[in-house]
Amino acid sequence: MPMRDYVIRRLLIIIPTFFLITLIIFTLIHFAPGDPTDAMVGKGGKLPPELREQIRVEYGLNQPLPVQYLIWLNKLLHGDLGYSYITSGSVLNMIAVRIQLTVELQLMAESLSILIAVVLGVIAAVKHHSIYDASCSVAALVGYSTPDFWLALILLLVFSFWLKWFPSSSSITPGLTFSTPFHALFDHFKHMLLPTLALVAVWTAYLFRLVRSAMLEVLTQDYITTARSKGLKERVVIYKHALRNALLPVVTYVGYSIGLLFTGAAVIEEIFALPGLGQLMVERSQGRDYPALMGISIAIAIMVLIANLCADIAYAVVDPRIRYD
Amino acid sequence: MNSRLRKNSEGKNEKVHRPSRATRLFVVWRKLKKSKLAIAGFGIVLFMSMVALLSPVISPYSLDWIGSSRMPPSMENIFGTDNLGRDMLTLVMYGARISVYVGIATVLVEIAIGLSIGMVAGYFGGIIDEILMRIADVVFTLPMLMMVLLAISMFEVRSINTIILVMAVLEWPFMSRVVRSEYLSLREATYVEAARSMGASNLRIIVRHILPNILSVMIVLATMDIPWFILLEATITFLGFGDPMSSSWGVLLERGFPHMSTSWWIITFPGLALLITSLGFNLLGDGLRDALDIKVRE
Repeated sequence: MPMRDYVIRRLLIIIPTFFLITLIIFTLIHFAPGDPTDAMVGKGGKLPPELREQIRVEYGLNQPLPVQYLIWLNKLLHGDLGYSYITSGSVLNMIAVRIQLTVELQLMAESLSILIAVVLGVIAAVKHHSIYDASCSVAALVGYSTPDFWLALILLLVFSFWLKWFPSSSSITPGLTFSTPFHALFDHFKHMLLPTLALVAVWTAYLFRLVRSAMLEVLTQDYITTARSKGLKERVVIYKHALRNALLPVVTYVGYSIGLLFTGAAVIEEIFALPGLGQLMVERSQGRDYPALMGISIAIAIMVLIANLCADIAYAVVDPRIRYD
Repeated sequence: MNSRLRKNSEGKNEKVHRPSRATRLFVVWRKLKKSKLAIAGFGIVLFMSMVALLSPVISPYSLDWIGSSRMPPSMENIFGTDNLGRDMLTLVMYGARISVYVGIATVLVEIAIGLSIGMVAGYFGGIIDEILMRIADVVFTLPMLMMVLLAISMFEVRSINTIILVMAVLEWPFMSRVVRSEYLSLREATYVEAARSMGASNLRIIVRHILPNILSVMIVLATMDIPWFILLEATITFLGFGDPMSSSWGVLLERGFPHMSTSWWIITFPGLALLITSLGFNLLGDGLRDALDIKVRE
C-alpha cells in the first residue's frame, strides 16, 4: 500500500474514534449521580420544583438521553460547546482563554526535555559502561521515579518560600503595569520557570532512558559496522547514521504522550495557581459543570487524536521499513 | 528432581530433562543478584512491604496520638508533627499500607483485563482482534487524568477501590497490546500446532500451553506498572479526589500543601517515601527485565 493510501486510511480511522470518544464522554457524564440543577443553585440553595422544571426544559435536560446526545453532538460539530452552568459564559471562549497557558507550558517543557534527553542519551550510549553512562542512568531512574508534583512542591518551597527568587503563583504579577513588553515577558518568564523545571526534570529522565536504549540497540546493528568499516568518521556514523533511527521511538513517544503530559501539567497548574486548562478542569469537576467538563474533555481528546495522527504519519515518513497494513 | 518420566514413541519410559520450577527461579535469582541496583530495588521493595504490613506494630505512636501541632523533626517526632499534632513518621508508615496496596491491587485488576483481552485478540485474530484493538486505541486516547477526575467526581463514594478500578480500566490497553503480540507469534509455534493436532481445545491452548510462556513478560510488566500506579494515585488524591478517610501519601501531601511555607517537613517526608518506593519497584523491574532477558518498550 503506498504512503498516500496509508495516510488517508489513518485519517479515516479518526472519524469513528472521535465519535466513540464523544459517546464515552457523554455517557460517563450523564450517568453521574446528582442533578445538574443542584450545581447551578449551589450548595445549600433551595429551588421550587416548578422553577427547577423550567431550567430543565431550558437546558434540554428533560429530553431522553439519546436525543440529548444528538443535540449536543450536532452543536459540537458546529463549534458550539454550550454555556457553563456556573458562570453562564461560553465554554468555547473559556477553553480558548485557558488553553494558551497549557499549550505554552507543554511546548516549553517538552522541547526542553527532548533537547536535553537526546544530547545526554546519545553521549551515554556512545560511552556505554563508562562512569558517565552509569551516573546518568541512575540519575534518570531517580528522576523517573520522582512524583512530578512533589518535585514542584520542593522547588516552590526552596526557590520561592525560602530563597524568594521566584514568585509562587499565577502566570504574571497581578496589578502591575509594565513599562515595556520586554518587562512583561520577563515577569511572565519568571513565573513559568519553576513549573517548567518540575516537568522537564521528570520528562527528561523518561526520554533519556528511551533515547539511550534505542541508541544502544541501533549501535549494535550491521549497517553501523558497515559505515564504520567504510572508514567514516565516528561522528558521522553516530549523528548521521545511528541517531536517525534511534530517534524513531522518541517521535512515537512525543505524539502519544500528549495525554500523559496533560496529566502532569494539570497538577503543576494547580500547585502554581496557573490559569490553564488542567486547573479549569479540576475546578469544574468539583462543581459538576457538565458543559464545561464535556467541552474540556473534547478539547483534550482532539489534541491527543491530532498528536497521535502526527506521530503515526511522522513515523511512516521517517522509517521507510514500516509496513502499511 | 530435574527430570521427568515421559513415554517415548516406542511406548517406553524415558527421562526428559526439564528444570523444575524451583531451579528456574534460582537461575533468575542468580542473574538478578549480579546487578547491585536490582538487589537495592529488591531490598527497598521488601523494606516498604514490611513497613506496610507491620506499621501498627513498629510505628512509634498510635494513629490517634496527638502532640503539639507543627513541631519540626526532633527526637520525639523524627519526621515532625502535622498541623493537627499527629506524628508524621506514624502517618507515613500507615501511608505505606495504602500506597503498596494500591500499586499491587491496580496491577492485578489491570492484568485481569489486559491479559484476557490480549489473549483473545492475539489468539483468534481476525475481526475479533480488530474490534478489541480499536477499543484499546480509543481507551488509549482518553487522557488519563481527565477520565479519572470525571469518573471519581461521578461516584459519590470516594473510596480507594474506586480509584483502583478507574486506573485499571483506563490503563489495560498497553498491557493487552503486549499480550496480544505475544499470542500472535506464539500461536504459530510448533508446540502449539502439536497440541492442536492432539485435539487440545482453544481454551486449553491459551491457558495451559501459551500462558506459561509469557509469564516472565507479565512479571516484568507488572513490576514496572506498580510504581506508575502508586504515583498516579498520589497525583489523583493530591488534587483532592482521594478518599479523605484513608491517609495515603497523596492525601498527606494534599493536607500538607497549605502548611508547607511554615512547616517543610509536612510535605517532604511523604514525598520522599513515594520517591523511594517507586524507585525500588523501578530498579527491581529493570533488574528483572535484564535477568529474564525481555524486551519491553519503556
